[in-house]
Amino acid sequence: MSVKHEEQFEPTPYVVAIITYIGYVMLAVFGHMRDFLRNHGFEKNLIATEPARTKDFVPLYQNFESFYTRNLYRRIRDCWNRPIRTCPGAEFELIDRKSPDHGWSFEYPGTHTRAINFGSYNYLGFAETDGPCADAAAAATETFGCGVGSPRAEAGNLDLHTRLEATVAEFVGAEDAIIFPMGFATNALNMPALIGKGCCVLSDELNHSSLVLGARLTGAKIKVFRHNDIADVEAKLRDAIVYGQDRTRRPFKKILIVVEGVYSMEGSVTRLPELIALKKKYKAYLYLDEAHSIGAMGPHGRGVVDYFGCDPRDVDVLMGTFTKSFGGAGGYIAGSQHLVALLRQRSHSGLYGASLPAPVAAQVVTAFQMLMGRAGPPGEGARRLKQLEVNTQYFRASLHRLGVIVYGHRTSPVVPVMIFMPGKIAAFGRETLKRGLGTVVVGYPATPIIESRARFCLSAAHSLDIIDRSVQIIDEVTSLLLMKYSRRPPPAWTAGITREWAEAQLKLVDQQRRPHGAANGGPVPRRPVECRGDPPDKVADENDAAVKDNLAAVAAAS
Amino acid sequence: LAAMQVGTAHSDPNPNHVYFNSRGIWATYVIFIFITHFIVLSIPFISMALAWTLTCQIHNVITYFWLHWEKGAPFEPLDQGESRTLTHWEQLDDGVQFTANKKFLLVVPIVIFLLTTFYTRYDQIHFLVNALSLVLLAIVPKLPQLYRVRIFGINKW
Repeated sequence: MSVKHEEQFEPTPYVVAIITYIGYVMLAVFGHMRDFLRNHGFEKNLIATEPARTKDFVPLYQNFESFYTRNLYRRIRDCWNRPIRTCPGAEFELIDRKSPDHGWSFEYPGTHTRAINFGSYNYLGFAETDGPCADAAAAATETFGCGVGSPRAEAGNLDLHTRLEATVAEFVGAEDAIIFPMGFATNALNMPALIGKGCCVLSDELNHSSLVLGARLTGAKIKVFRHNDIADVEAKLRDAIVYGQDRTRRPFKKILIVVEGVYSMEGSVTRLPELIALKKKYKAYLYLDEAHSIGAMGPHGRGVVDYFGCDPRDVDVLMGTFTKSFGGAGGYIAGSQHLVALLRQRSHSGLYGASLPAPVAAQVVTAFQMLMGRAGPPGEGARRLKQLEVNTQYFRASLHRLGVIVYGHRTSPVVPVMIFMPGKIAAFGRETLKRGLGTVVVGYPATPIIESRARFCLSAAHSLDIIDRSVQIIDEVTSLLLMKYSRRPPPAWTAGITREWAEAQLKLVDQQRRPHGAANGGPVPRRPVECRGDPPDKVADENDAAVKDNLAAVAAAS
Repeated sequence: LAAMQVGTAHSDPNPNHVYFNSRGIWATYVIFIFITHFIVLSIPFISMALAWTLTCQIHNVITYFWLHWEKGAPFEPLDQGESRTLTHWEQLDDGVQFTANKKFLLVVPIVIFLLTTFYTRYDQIHFLVNALSLVLLAIVPKLPQLYRVRIFGINKW
């Protein structure tokens, strides 16, 4: 099935859109009224104001700019930035807060709520406090300390970094790779090293702000194309080649198409095969940001390149981050030897920023090796990938059957469920928390005005029982809030996706694993990859060659 | 809160540029005018002519403040302050003139004025008042010649 048939973005129903606008206008009217009362002393004024002596100067900041924050966001801000007290695995414990004055301040009664975690980018379940990754990170901290304190190019290179780069390059299928301590900086500070004035950047409409900033920092001409619209890309490519630069009409030195693998706000997947065909036809370059897709998509977890079965050498710059699927921090750029050698010399982040701290590097290296089957219990990597795939499809199919509007592609682990109306944003966030489900809700201006949504991030740490329970909670809440707007039948691919199908898929992976210390043919106990406050289970096998290797290298370096 | 927008996908740093293209927003605008008119019509001691004139005036005054007086955005956009000195009209469609949105917003007050002159039976005083408010509050600020113009420096900062 082509990508187009497996993803959908049902447009907002007309009447719902009108009611949403009326809602926002009412909020604005009340906001203005309350601001008037506050500014003229009829109501207690808790906002920051300029001191009296500067009243006649040009205003230092605009009161109007904080209108939205003050009158809309502040009233419902208990839905965001919730403090937690355990590791954010499949479930977490939230510290309860109550606001006696509608969001100006919080009180802490001292109680806790245990909730299912759908807010963390934890696609493969590596956010855990025990396991081979945690052991490796602890060992690296004891050897190298917490930070490095120097850029890679000066004194901040550890052999751990070199090993991580080799691992990344092997995993992704590229010739070489270079890592950076910050995912955002990987995009923003490396694009200027690759392109400059006289080049053209074709950027997708919904690209992340790091890509937008990186493109602006280069000084190149930026053309934005409609989201996932290949015809638009081709038209703009042809224009760029035929008409060249703006006034001089000279040809562009390089044309770079910048797309993401999976778009986290929409859950959509880029059209990689068509883009590769286009770039070869017109001799452009392709920059693929796999922040949300590396580790999360594809039969072997190697990202959208793996999912579509394309050749990684066809993509010129493969960028990704360690934050989402690997439980670490930082980013990488992989590509040809030539590209990476250039970046080692020219990258702004590599020359001026500190390098990736050792515990993070150790965590990420071990995570990669677990995925490649060289660390941890045998088959653990394949199990996690399969669990994520099954969770995603089962969750999405169940939600489609409920009748809510779900955006995105069938295999994207980011699942946006549409809310539309501003009042329901807070209601959804609070009602689901009351029932034990923690999720992220987003509204205007982060999303278009009539497309506010709740975003669920699936994880390999979630078990099928957790997913069943969450779907039940979502069913209750969406019935209560009348959020079941979908007027289409569930898509064709959801037909066979049931609990039985999911369990059968997971059993397949179990059977493919070697029995782990059990008698031949015995069932392998599947350990739930979940974060608890209990004493750590020893998931790592101390005889594991790769783990021993890591620890030995770390010990040797000390 | 700029933190609300960080991490989200936006090639356009100011959502004020594009939201007026969303589905159903033109219809909502017309619905609001109808609601205002019905409220004014419901007041028992106001004559038909006065009701229409009141609707026309209320509409022109409110849209003047909304489009041509308040500057900047009610949230912090990611454009580093470029839109802080721009009125909403100047921000719509990123300053491009003669777009569909701008034509629509120009035509609506004119249509209301024509209906009002009809329902006030072309009375002189009503006509004068409505015409003045139409021209000064609704048409002149929308002309492309007055894009980013501040007369006598009023409302500059």
